[in-house]
Amino acid sequence: MYLAADKTKPEGAQLEDAHCGDDVDLAAPTTAPGGKWQTFPNSHISHHGAACCDIAHQWLIAFDYAQLNGGDVLTGPRWMREQSAWGPTAWPIHWCEAVGAKTVDCGVHAAIAHEAFVARGVRAFRAQFIQRYSADATASWRQNWGKESVSDHWIDGEAIYHEGNAILIGDDEVKLWDGSAGWWINPRGDAGYGSLAAVRIEAPDIDGFADGLLWGERRIMLNQWVAM
Amino acid sequence: MKIYVSGLYAGGNPQPGVGIVRSLRQGYPNATIVGVEYSNRVSGIHFGKLDELWIQRPWSELDLDAYGEKVREALDAGGLWISGSDLEAMWLASVFPDGHPNLLAPPMSGIKRITKPVVEAASGLPIKIPTYLSTEHSDWDLHAFCREHNWRVWLKGPYYDASRTPTWDTFTAVRNALSKVWSTEKLFLQAHVSGYEESVMLSAFRGELLGAVSMRKRDITTEGKTWAGDVSEVPASFMEPLRQMVRDTNWTGGGELEMVRDASDQLWLIEMNPRFPAWVHGATIAGHNLPALLVQAATRVAAQPVPAVASEFTRIVLEVPVRPDYPLPPLPEPFAGAVGHSMKHPSGLTSLAARLHEIDPHMLDVALAPDAAAPPSGVAELPDTFVADIAAQDFDAMQTPQYIYMDTTATSLFKRAADRAHSLSTNGVEVISGYSIKTNPDKRLIKLALDNGFYAEAISLGEVQSALEVGFRPDQVILNGPGKWWPEGLMPRETMHAVFCDSIADLDRVVAAVAAGDMSAKHIGVRIRTPNITSRFGIPLDSPTTFAKLIAAVKRLPNDSAFGVHFHMASSHVGVAQWWHLFESMLRWCQSIEKLSGRTIEMLDMGGGWYPDDWHEDQISKIARAAERVRTMLLGVRQIASEPGKAMAQPSMALAMRILEIQEHEDDYIEAVVDASIAEIPMHFWQPHRMVRQCAETGELQPIGRGKTHLMGRLCMEHDIIASNVQLPEGTRAGDLLIFCDAGGYDRSMSYVFGRG
Ligand SMILES: [Zn+2]
Ligand SMILES: [Zn+2]
Repeated sequence: MYLAADKTKPEGAQLEDAHCGDDVDLAAPTTAPGGKWQTFPNSHISHHGAACCDIAHQWLIAFDYAQLNGGDVLTGPRWMREQSAWGPTAWPIHWCEAVGAKTVDCGVHAAIAHEAFVARGVRAFRAQFIQRYSADATASWRQNWGKESVSDHWIDGEAIYHEGNAILIGDDEVKLWDGSAGWWINPRGDAGYGSLAAVRIEAPDIDGFADGLLWGERRIMLNQWVAM
Repeated sequence: MKIYVSGLYAGGNPQPGVGIVRSLRQGYPNATIVGVEYSNRVSGIHFGKLDELWIQRPWSELDLDAYGEKVREALDAGGLWISGSDLEAMWLASVFPDGHPNLLAPPMSGIKRITKPVVEAASGLPIKIPTYLSTEHSDWDLHAFCREHNWRVWLKGPYYDASRTPTWDTFTAVRNALSKVWSTEKLFLQAHVSGYEESVMLSAFRGELLGAVSMRKRDITTEGKTWAGDVSEVPASFMEPLRQMVRDTNWTGGGELEMVRDASDQLWLIEMNPRFPAWVHGATIAGHNLPALLVQAATRVAAQPVPAVASEFTRIVLEVPVRPDYPLPPLPEPFAGAVGHSMKHPSGLTSLAARLHEIDPHMLDVALAPDAAAPPSGVAELPDTFVADIAAQDFDAMQTPQYIYMDTTATSLFKRAADRAHSLSTNGVEVISGYSIKTNPDKRLIKLALDNGFYAEAISLGEVQSALEVGFRPDQVILNGPGKWWPEGLMPRETMHAVFCDSIADLDRVVAAVAAGDMSAKHIGVRIRTPNITSRFGIPLDSPTTFAKLIAAVKRLPNDSAFGVHFHMASSHVGVAQWWHLFESMLRWCQSIEKLSGRTIEMLDMGGGWYPDDWHEDQISKIARAAERVRTMLLGVRQIASEPGKAMAQPSMALAMRILEIQEHEDDYIEAVVDASIAEIPMHFWQPHRMVRQCAETGELQPIGRGKTHLMGRLCMEHDIIASNVQLPEGTRAGDLLIFCDAGGYDRSMSYVFGRG
């Protein structure tokens, strides 16, 4: 869920060197579908530029493929949640630290799942979510993130910012993977606890998807927050 | 209006009766709803919304003719009947083959068209049927089916019950149990489909579809039954063929299609039930009251409309008062000294299955594809070389039990493998075979391997010595496994062909031995352990840390030997399809190792563990495909080795034995004691063996099929049963000769001396 400093980031990436919320512009209008995360970028794992990160990255790709067990490449990488529980991550984080860590946040889960999907040959996109929870839930998370001295900028009132993946399953149809939960998000569009308030699918190349992508019965335009 | 509703069982795997009653009560608040049950132990009879109860004696006791008359009277008197049980619906269809105006259940002709696994009636729907095989096929073929589907298979009865059978011994045990419970030998194996479960429920009256609704399971019980779900409209692409199906079958009543949606969105039909599902009221909550639609169509009395309250439903557990006129029956005491209460299905449904079988022996048959060939014989054919090799034996002079060397079989198998390796080799990449001595260290087989250009694959220095004694040169030896230093002092000083290190410690020992001049090999490499296969061998890859250790270790290997990688996944255990996935996965690991270690893989040893048929059938294309993948993914590989040890050895020996005694018991159950035992046939639990009896008079070989005979070994050990449920040919008696083929692999090499004095 969080952005990290990374020397290897492509040119022109915004918010260079931002971490722990310090330099992130959270002053976006809260009436926008993305709320205070309207311009928030997807989390990015850094590379030490050394063998340590190469090994971790290669291991991730090969291990994910092995875990498919002969199943469909469109199956979610459930093993990642077994390997690394969901919890606070201090950013920036590098591949050699992220892959195999006992606890990681959804930004790490989404970033490594993206690498795995792409390596399988699946057309995948990073996805950002805003979910509705309750005051009790967000207070509990605030406390846990505080205990680890990790920024809780991803919480806003009863809403949270969360990251996942969008996987192309047809010509222009996607399903949305929540790697930290280990499930596909239900496209039925429910309201209430745990429901999806807004989604943003990031696609650097929108060729062929000018009309957005179909998720359940809804069409989602790319690279913008879409309220559910 | 009076409506009879049956199937009130309301435990963890509930029947739909209670849900039907709740839905009817909403649609028809003033109707008299009668709960029908066959046991006072069924908790649903205490449900408060029932007006009356009609409790019959269990199916095992009921006089079916008299009860059929009572049902007819109830229907004639104007009562409607909605059945909540598959078997009751089938029995009713047998009583009223053409239906009854007030019986809201499908006609017999319709029920017969939804029999598993084919579910012929649903063939127009956009759904597939998972691959299946009738258990009438021979054990040999059934084992092949399980391997082909990675042992992710279910053994199912025609109407109820399904059990995962992940191993051969589970399969044989479950087959036995299911056949007994459901009074039929006609079961089927079906490939598992992984995905999310969903259902379509329908309601129909005289061939007209009244309504249908779709439900996805959102929470399931440990038995896989619905606990919560979401309800939605059935898409038009499904609705239209469903309407046609209802018309074609002249369906009346409820129905449910249980399906799995796989990761690529394909729907697979698991079964169709001739009744409403237990979650029927979940749909009513979502505004689709299908039982009320059914009654409305039958009576033309409009049902009260129900509002959609929510599109999702879940279950809770509630305590309800027990009706004073049906106090709880006592709980049976546990059997003396036993743990837990042994409870049968309270209403005796399994005995109804037995009785239906008597009424119509074909009613509970599994339905196989209409284009299926002639019914399978149930007996595996012996290959010609088996017959010739057995005929060449002098059994009269033979002490039994005795392993028979199948000379022409072994010779032809090794020759074929040699030809294949030769034909697959190219100028750039040589394909070789290694004979795993451990699968059967018989000198005749080792010699055949040598004569056919095999390498000798050894896991101990003792095995290396055996190979050298037969005539292998050290540079024809591949040394593997954690026992490669045992026994001490036998390590050849000459250069071996390949050495694969089984652990980091082993690798460091090899590096030191090579540096000290105590060991030499053209190829030195590592065996890697597949992450998701349980194995104690090879260097693990299960975390980035262990992988980093492997990379560092590979960098320490001597540079003057070529680098190689060995892996081993027994296809006979993991299954054939899964083997291919693992193979592809292994090649990816190899690519990563090359990239990260800077060493090029020149030799790839893909191990063995092939079941003979999987190896020999389709022989060229399989290994050709593997070699092709290696060539495209690992450009530096100059030699590909495979180790078809079991594939060579298993067919190459048979076990001859004699019958010592035949004991006849009740119900055609026979125990035949033989002079062999599990000490000679230890793989009996893991694989079938093709068996024949030699006729004492004519010398003819007679195949042994399935039946009620159990072959007991000679040992005084409870589990010394070497074959269950076989049928000895007519006239078999003590002294007769039986031959178990396919005993030349681990049966032979892992046999032990026991009970011989
Ligand atoms: Zn690193
Ligand atoms: Zn999150």
